[in-house]
Amino acid sequence: MTAGLSSAVVYRDPKAALAWLEKAFGFELAMLLEDADGNLAHSQMEFGDSYIMVGQEWSDDHKSPSSIGGKNTQTVHIQIDSDLDAHCERARSAGAEIIAEPETQFYGDRTYRCRDPEGHIWTVSQTFKAVSREEAEAASGLKITGWR
Amino acid sequence: MTSKVYVALRVKAPPERAFAAFVGEIGAWWRPNGLFQTTPRAPGVLAFEPGEGGRLTETLASGKVFEIGRITAWEPPARLVFSWRQANFPPDLQTEVEVRFEPVGEETRVSVEHRGFDRVPAGGAARHGFPDQALLMRLVEWWRMLLTSYGERAA
Repeated sequence: MTAGLSSAVVYRDPKAALAWLEKAFGFELAMLLEDADGNLAHSQMEFGDSYIMVGQEWSDDHKSPSSIGGKNTQTVHIQIDSDLDAHCERARSAGAEIIAEPETQFYGDRTYRCRDPEGHIWTVSQTFKAVSREEAEAASGLKITGWR
Repeated sequence: MTSKVYVALRVKAPPERAFAAFVGEIGAWWRPNGLFQTTPRAPGVLAFEPGEGGRLTETLASGKVFEIGRITAWEPPARLVFSWRQANFPPDLQTEVEVRFEPVGEETRVSVEHRGFDRVPAGGAARHGFPDQALLMRLVEWWRMLLTSYGERAA
């Protein structure tokens, strides 16, 4: 494989998560290993040019948010190229809790944020318009480095 | 219950072409793997005999034909199931491979599910001493490589 980044997302019920992530976000199952008892040992789902791994709580330090009071220590971001509002409705009807409705941001992307059934927070974004660094700095009051 | 490994990818072709390439051109896209040797000899050329009950054979350089398995479900262009055994399996052991072809727009999502490899006995030659998870991980990596080769052929 070539160099890159991926995230391993931990669930109490990873097999249910595979079905839910396909239904809600359109991720496609690319790899799955199950042992003789039907337990998930490893899995990968693809979206665009990226993939995530979906796994179980395999150690005391790997927990689903639903096991630790809903806390998240990282979130996975989904970048799409069309119809963000329809994406949000698809997620909502699959049972996602929408915690920030679709809204166009100062940096030119339209975004929404949701929680999946085990409490993972996902952000979803679509670029709506090109915004220059100066415009973004003026709109936000932030000093921005590395804008492209 | 039985263990399974699953791999899937998109092929840039309609299901009819994807199915035909999987079955009819397996001799061209197949990539043998030393860990999953079908026979003790040098790898030969694989071929399906189309239709339910048809054989999946490997023809060796000597001209000898080894039967890897038989087609148990033949549903072009949507589904194919065949049995899989290696010469170093115990006589009564069969594993099963199910291939599905689902249209997605102008492409086809092709998935392979290989079931029952955990039944390869501990200590047997086909195990190479691996515990279940290591064996299944090697198997899924091989299928990923096979599907990538197949996908390039089918496109």
